[in-house]
Amino acid sequence: MYRKTAKDYMLDGTIYIVLIAMGLITLLPFVNVFSKSVSEEWAIMSGQVGIFPVGFQLDTMKFVVTSSQFLNSLWISVIITVAGTLGSLLITALTAYPLSKRELPGMGFIIVLFIFTMMFNGGIIPNYLLVRELGLINNLGSLILPALISVFNMLVIKSYFENLPASLEESAKLEGARNLTILFRIILPLSGPVLATIGLFYAVYYWNDYFHPMLYINSTSLKPLQLYLQDIVMNADTSSALDKTADDLMNVPAEGVRSATVIASTIPILLVYPFLQKYFIKGVLIGSVKG
Amino acid sequence: MSKPRGGEGVSLGTGRRRLKLIRGNMDMYMLLIPGLIFLFLFKYAPMYGIIIAFQDFNIFGGISGSEWVGMAQFERLLQSDEFMQVLTNTLLISLYKITILFPIPIVIALMLNEVRRMFFKRTIQTIIYLPHFLSWVIISGLFINILSPSGGIVNEIIRSFGGEPISFFTSNSLFRSLVVFTAGWKEMGWNAIVFIAALAGIEQEQYEAAAIDGAGRIRQMWSISLPGMLPTIVLMFILRIGSLLEAGTEQILTMYNPLVYETGDVIGTFVYRMGLGQQDYSFSTAVGLFNSAVGFLLIIIGNMLSRKFIGRSIW
Repeated sequence: MYRKTAKDYMLDGTIYIVLIAMGLITLLPFVNVFSKSVSEEWAIMSGQVGIFPVGFQLDTMKFVVTSSQFLNSLWISVIITVAGTLGSLLITALTAYPLSKRELPGMGFIIVLFIFTMMFNGGIIPNYLLVRELGLINNLGSLILPALISVFNMLVIKSYFENLPASLEESAKLEGARNLTILFRIILPLSGPVLATIGLFYAVYYWNDYFHPMLYINSTSLKPLQLYLQDIVMNADTSSALDKTADDLMNVPAEGVRSATVIASTIPILLVYPFLQKYFIKGVLIGSVKG
Repeated sequence: MSKPRGGEGVSLGTGRRRLKLIRGNMDMYMLLIPGLIFLFLFKYAPMYGIIIAFQDFNIFGGISGSEWVGMAQFERLLQSDEFMQVLTNTLLISLYKITILFPIPIVIALMLNEVRRMFFKRTIQTIIYLPHFLSWVIISGLFINILSPSGGIVNEIIRSFGGEPISFFTSNSLFRSLVVFTAGWKEMGWNAIVFIAALAGIEQEQYEAAAIDGAGRIRQMWSISLPGMLPTIVLMFILRIGSLLEAGTEQILTMYNPLVYETGDVIGTFVYRMGLGQQDYSFSTAVGLFNSAVGFLLIIIGNMLSRKFIGRSIW
């Protein structure tokens, strides 16, 4: 048997220390900002809040998460994410299925047309002008329609379909089933894991997207959470982004509000993080094996 | 890759066979319609829109009613000091990111591979993967918060050691480092996943045989783990080079401000500012086209290299 030498113990020690350090570097910023969000403002401003809250209170957090603008933005984000994910998943799977049948004439060419757009695109401005031309400025459709199919995701689903045993379809065909029936009755029910993974890819994209809202949305009532957060983080003057009166703001200070908004925006992702981690890793691995 | 699989069909007469296949599968072609509408409307129509880079586009005239100026926008681009600064910033930030951040996930994977305590390993992975799922707005919010000169924890620590507080986000000498560091902080752990998977694919017998031959663990990491990951490393590196001109547009948009344009403005943010900020549509489309064209070229070259060195095509 192999016995650990002194060198091995040093190696293990170094590895554990470095990994723990990385874990701490990742966690501590969250811990610190969380503590700030539940501390008293005097403690924040005098720089006393480190790892633990000073003068624990939940008023700032309550103020942030009950602000009607925050709730509205949260709602907008939920709408975009749910509608976008369902729409994307449907159209992506519907497109991937015929494209997985390479023996059909023309499919290879259409795949090339899709792949080309991964390597070359019109760029920000032509996209903006198109969305404008379509009358989608200040319309949530501008955040969903242009993002319906991610070619990468489509290729992942396509290769999953291709790897399903062909015998399944052949027997159904012999019984006279049509392609659509096969897709909905046989293929899709067998594709649960890949659809879950790709669905989460889309959901995280829609939820986290702030670039497109920044381009296409300027009406306050349609701003998704990320854009709202951006306003709060970047504006030194928090009052303009919040819908409370000056009296409220006197009691609820800017630095604490900003910390609480960052934390409140992180929580939805944290809640679903166990699923995300599991399915995303699967997705990355499928994608890297077969792009 | 799109060659039809011939063989059995050739004797039947390919033309007739193809026609029969199409007729028998009309429903399959109908299924493609929504995807094709999407493809042409949202992917290819904007490519047509690129022609405004050769015009003096005005929003009222549209593409058909705007004056044709040929290469004038590109001449303006090459003569613009601002663009040269932006290109320099892009290349510098990108190269820093590649040289500093590319090796780290490989090292993380190697280290995690040595950890035998599964609970510890899983805990660390869970923690370091987390920032990947958060938007740049949240990450920037977090860092603006902890680096704030008024009450931010980092500056409190600096102050307690007797230093002067630093305004990280407005300092031209620190901004690029900040961009590289936060990008590493967000994606380092996550980017290790493909390497971890590559390590998992190495046969355990190789390590056992090496141990019998008296190779220590460091020697095993060097002679078995690292070579085992090499194809993945090469592939990831080539993919990374393909996005050389993408220095982190979304990231920088959430982090920068006019005080650090000098060091932090990159092609993507410049296009955004010129196009949507100043409504200089033609010029910013020209910049965007330059960006897409170089990117396209890099990917093609990368794919050629990938085929040559690891016998694998990227797509």
